[in-house]
Amino acid sequence: MGKGRMTPSINRISRSALRCVCVCSIAVAQLCSSVTVAQENRPDFTGVWTVYRSGDGAPAFAAGPRPSFTSGAQAKVETYQRVTANTNHSPGAYCVGTGMPGSMLGSGGYPMEIMQRPEQINITYEAHGEMRRIYFAERVANPNDVWPERNGYSVGRWEGDTLVIETGHLVEQVDQAYAHSAEARIVERYRLSIEDGGKKVITASLTMTDPLFLTEPFTTEKKWQAVPNGRLMTYECAEPQWLDVLERLTTQDSAGSN
Amino acid sequence: MNLMRSLIPIVMTVVVASKAHAHHSAAQFDFQKPVNVTGIVKVARFSNPHAKLILEITDDSRGKRDIEFEGHSRNNMYRQGLRPEMMAVGDEITIRIAPMRDGSDGGYVTAFITVDGKAIGNISAAD
Repeated sequence: MGKGRMTPSINRISRSALRCVCVCSIAVAQLCSSVTVAQENRPDFTGVWTVYRSGDGAPAFAAGPRPSFTSGAQAKVETYQRVTANTNHSPGAYCVGTGMPGSMLGSGGYPMEIMQRPEQINITYEAHGEMRRIYFAERVANPNDVWPERNGYSVGRWEGDTLVIETGHLVEQVDQAYAHSAEARIVERYRLSIEDGGKKVITASLTMTDPLFLTEPFTTEKKWQAVPNGRLMTYECAEPQWLDVLERLTTQDSAGSN
Repeated sequence: MNLMRSLIPIVMTVVVASKAHAHHSAAQFDFQKPVNVTGIVKVARFSNPHAKLILEITDDSRGKRDIEFEGHSRNNMYRQGLRPEMMAVGDEITIRIAPMRDGSDGGYVTAFITVDGKAIGNISAAD
């Protein structure tokens, strides 16, 4: 078998392979291009955001009415308020996060950070380092296999350029301004806009429904503005207590050894 | 000199809602009557959710004593310009506080002037 007979075959194979590679490359490129376009059509919320301030510098806090409670819920809220009135007892005093929807609507005026990927978005509220994870498509867990939490479990989807987040699997909470039962469901709708001057703004509407606590859906809105190249700080809320304990132990040790 | 007479009253409108301190009730502090206090730093712990400051204060009526103050969080102070090297034990500083409503020692620190004269927070205006 001589080289001369092999060459045409190899050439044919090479040409076929080359054609295949080219066709596949074009197909992949088209696929990638379509994916890129689809992603590009979705706004990117990645970044650090703080409470929106209007032209006069005044911060814009969540507006709208407070939830309208059922009589049973009102009684629970009043009990909570009565037992904690004129005390320093609150979730924050024990380094416990606010929970939804208070974490999104309040967060003590601290900034938040959003990290966005196609399959998951993480939102970190600096206060108490509260983090929400919003899952998409295949990342969404079996709803029967989710442990309820103060910030619930959130599933995201896109409606055009609007990010829609539905949150359930909450726990009953009377220890925040937006008290709710474990049956509450929250729908948030996030839109990105750019004001004159280039300021990036997130506007989010929030609607909470709750068959046990609310007489009607509670709806409000919140706005944030981008903090260019902003950074969140850690929030080690329990550090002072630990340092006090360590100091006491060290003092006791010193006293014992003297 | 009596402590309360040594405090410089500053009548201001305090916009409490604009502050980042949603951690416990601030009912014991009178944000409507901020005052400035000068003392020697004994303890300066900048942490979350609140800072802890112990200053050695001297006045005519009760003499020299240590008074503990609470304050804005480390994160809040950082964004107002505070850096770790700016305050040390032994420094004489002036703090702006919301005093205790019952008149007892202590208060909530909203701003201060470091030993080098740098103002952290708004030492002379509303928060």
